[in-house]
Parts: sequence; C-alpha cells; structure tokens
Amino acid sequence: MGTVAGEERAERLVEAITRRVQDVPLLPSVVSRLLEVVGREDHSINDVVRLIENDLSLTTRVLKVANCAAFGRGQTITSLSRATLHLGEKMVIGIAIGSCSPQLFQRPLEGYGSAAGELWDHSLRTALATREVVRYAHHEVSSDLAFTAGLLHDVGKALISEFLEGQTGALVQSCREGHSGDFLAAEQMLLGTDHAEIGYALARRWSLPDPLCAALRDHHRPDLALDFRELVFGVHLGDLAAMLGGSGTGADTLAYKVETGYEEYLRLDKDDLDRILLIVQDEFRRTKASIFSELEAGR
Amino acid sequence: MSVIYVGVGEFAISNRPGEVVKTLGLGSCVAVIAQTPDARLVGLLHVALPESGINRRLAEERPGMFADTGIPQLLQEMRKRGWNSGPLQIKLAGGATIMDPNNTFNIGKRNLLAIRKVLWAFRLGAIAEDVGESISRTVWVNVGSGQVIVSSPGRGEWEL
Repeated sequence: MGTVAGEERAERLVEAITRRVQDVPLLPSVVSRLLEVVGREDHSINDVVRLIENDLSLTTRVLKVANCAAFGRGQTITSLSRATLHLGEKMVIGIAIGSCSPQLFQRPLEGYGSAAGELWDHSLRTALATREVVRYAHHEVSSDLAFTAGLLHDVGKALISEFLEGQTGALVQSCREGHSGDFLAAEQMLLGTDHAEIGYALARRWSLPDPLCAALRDHHRPDLALDFRELVFGVHLGDLAAMLGGSGTGADTLAYKVETGYEEYLRLDKDDLDRILLIVQDEFRRTKASIFSELEAGR
Repeated sequence: MSVIYVGVGEFAISNRPGEVVKTLGLGSCVAVIAQTPDARLVGLLHVALPESGINRRLAEERPGMFADTGIPQLLQEMRKRGWNSGPLQIKLAGGATIMDPNNTFNIGKRNLLAIRKVLWAFRLGAIAEDVGESISRTVWVNVGSGQVIVSSPGRGEWEL
C-alpha cells in the first residue's frame, strides 16, 4: 500500500509530466487539418491535395520526396496532385508529421536507453505493420488512418522519457521479475502515469480525431478501448510486429503482452504474420533510405 | 577496429583477426554464428523467418532471410573462404518471444526450431545459445579470439 508521501510524490510527477504536454507546440494547422481529414472515412485524395497546396513548405517537401531517387521514375514531377498520387496519401502524412515534429520523434529517449532516431524508426515500422494488419480486420479500417495511428502511437514516450532517466535498469528488472505486468505497468508504478496516457493527453491537446486518440491511449490494452477496436487492436499488433522485427525503443522492446482478444476483431495466422514482417522490412528499407534521409537533408 | 554490420537477411564472413562482425536489434530474428575452432574464420547470419516457402522469389534474392535457405548458403560461402568441412562451433542468439496462446506471434520459437532442424541436417548443433525471453538483443563476434558478446538495453552486456 502506498504512503501519503509516496502518493504526493506521484501526484507531483504526474503534474510535471502534464506540464510538459502543455509545453509541446500545437501542430501546424495544415497538419492538424490533414489528420482531421484522414480521420474521416469519406475523404478523398483531392481533400489532401487541397490542404497541402495552401502550405508552401509542405508542398516543397512533398515534391522533393516524389522526385528523389527511390520514388522517382526518371521523370520530373512538378504537380502536387501527381506527387501525392505517386507517393500515396500515407507517405504524404508521414512527411507532414515527420517534418513538423522532429523535436519529438528524433530525440534520444534516455529513459528508455534508446538512441536518437529509434523512436521514428519504430513509429514508421509500426505504421507500416498496422496498415498491413488491418487488412485482416473483420470490418474495414481505413489504411490511411491505420498508418497514421501507427506513426503516432508512441509519441508519449518523447515526453515521459526524461522522468524515467536513471530508473531504466530498475524498470527492466521489475518486468523481468514479474513485479509489474509489463513495461506500461512498470511506468505506472514508478510515475503514476504511462506513455499511453501521456500520448493521449497530447493527442487531445492537438485535437486529433477520436480514433487516433483511442489508438494512442489503448494500444497496449486494446480490450479497454470503448470504440474503434479494430483500429486499436491493429495498432497493438502492429506495434508488437515492429518489435518482433527488431525495431523498438530500447529497454521496453518486447516487454509487453499480446492481448489475446484480437481474434474477435482480426483474423490472421502465422503465415500472414510472416508475410507482414517481410512487407514491413522491405518497405521500411525503401522508405527510410529515401523519404526521411531527404527530410533530414532538407532540414 | 573495423566492424562489419550484418542486416536482416544478410550474412558476413571474415578471416581478418581483430575484425568484429555485428548485428543489431534482434527481436524474433536469430543470429547464427559459425566459427572454426581456432576462430580464424567466422560467419554470422541474421535469419528473419523459418521457411522460404512463404516467398520463393525473395528466397532466391536474399536466401539469408530464411533458416532453410540461409544456413546452407552460409556454409557454402564458408567453404569457399577456406572451411574444409571440419568441426564448426555454432552459437545462437535472439529468437525472442511474446507470450501468445494463439501461437501466431511465437515467431522466435518457430525460427529456433527451424534453425536447429537445418543445422542437424548438416550434423551441426549449437554449443551455446542465448535465446528466447521477451528482450531485444545485439550480438557481435571478434574474429581471432572467437569471443561472442550479447547486449540488451537496460541489461548491459555479457559473453556467450
């Protein structure tokens, strides 16, 4: 049972972490409107193009990536609509989020023992895996929404990491010895909150659409999601697939459980999962080598 | 000290004393390390999946992705580099698992079973393993000393 002093300390920690959420800049309006559009099932690629063409910086980046070595086809693409069609809506969203939030996604996560860039790599792999996983959902889930949810699912780690510094070994030990159910529970025991709750608080601050908020909050406990369960289970399994494929964020990699209720929402067997891992591996190599090195160079 | 990095589905062989052969971030993937008893010839293969039947085209392009095509290729290349089919010391690292009663996500376990089966067909078996558990591993081997080191975030490093 916790002591009064312990409870006060936990409250102070939660307050301090919540203040960090308030310090995070709001998303540029073009990105937040882009995410809002993607969250609507009836949107078209023209809606995306119309939003981007009002932002010169994002338009330039999309054209630059569409013309870079790995995505170009030996012909110059000068129109935004052709570039968006060429890259696909998901890649455009990835460019928008990646280019506006480097301070969140590219920083090292010291508290997790994770180097700079690993959070972005893991997020991108999870996005690709989630997009593939939801193809097996009993009810249709937008692949664009799945990709975006996977890309954002762990953003809370960027805010919570510093509060875990110096405790990484103890957290790993706690998981290993079974004192906490998984790494999320270990975060809760130490801080009184966890990266999923903080990610959800940030999603609310950014006014993200409800399905994305649900995915950020419940991706480790999809059975607790009140709605959008196909999507939330998809992110849950996409996250695990990314970790099994070798991409995590340091000490918490693989320190989570499979929520076995997934069969009620998605049907995939071991051969399906093997195929998903191969697709993610292949697409990640292509994407990382092109889009994001291009973004880095342009920064 | 030069380091050769081995990516997913790739392998590397070295006979340069002092060189390090290393692979990063093994989840359910498995590093198969093969070395001659004097550790002058070292091979490291990063296997991703058990069976090549799932994608024959990829298996032809990158046989190292799969246990059943990667191990024969590793051994064949080691022969070309001077291995005379004498004794080989095999070590395995990786094959992490996530508890899944449906068995779908137990890729690490399936990888290890497939690797042991293929090794057995060549009358080879691992003399040391650091496998299973729910952890990510990085592994490297020093050519010449034959020392194999495993590390994991939050757990430090240890010799295999």
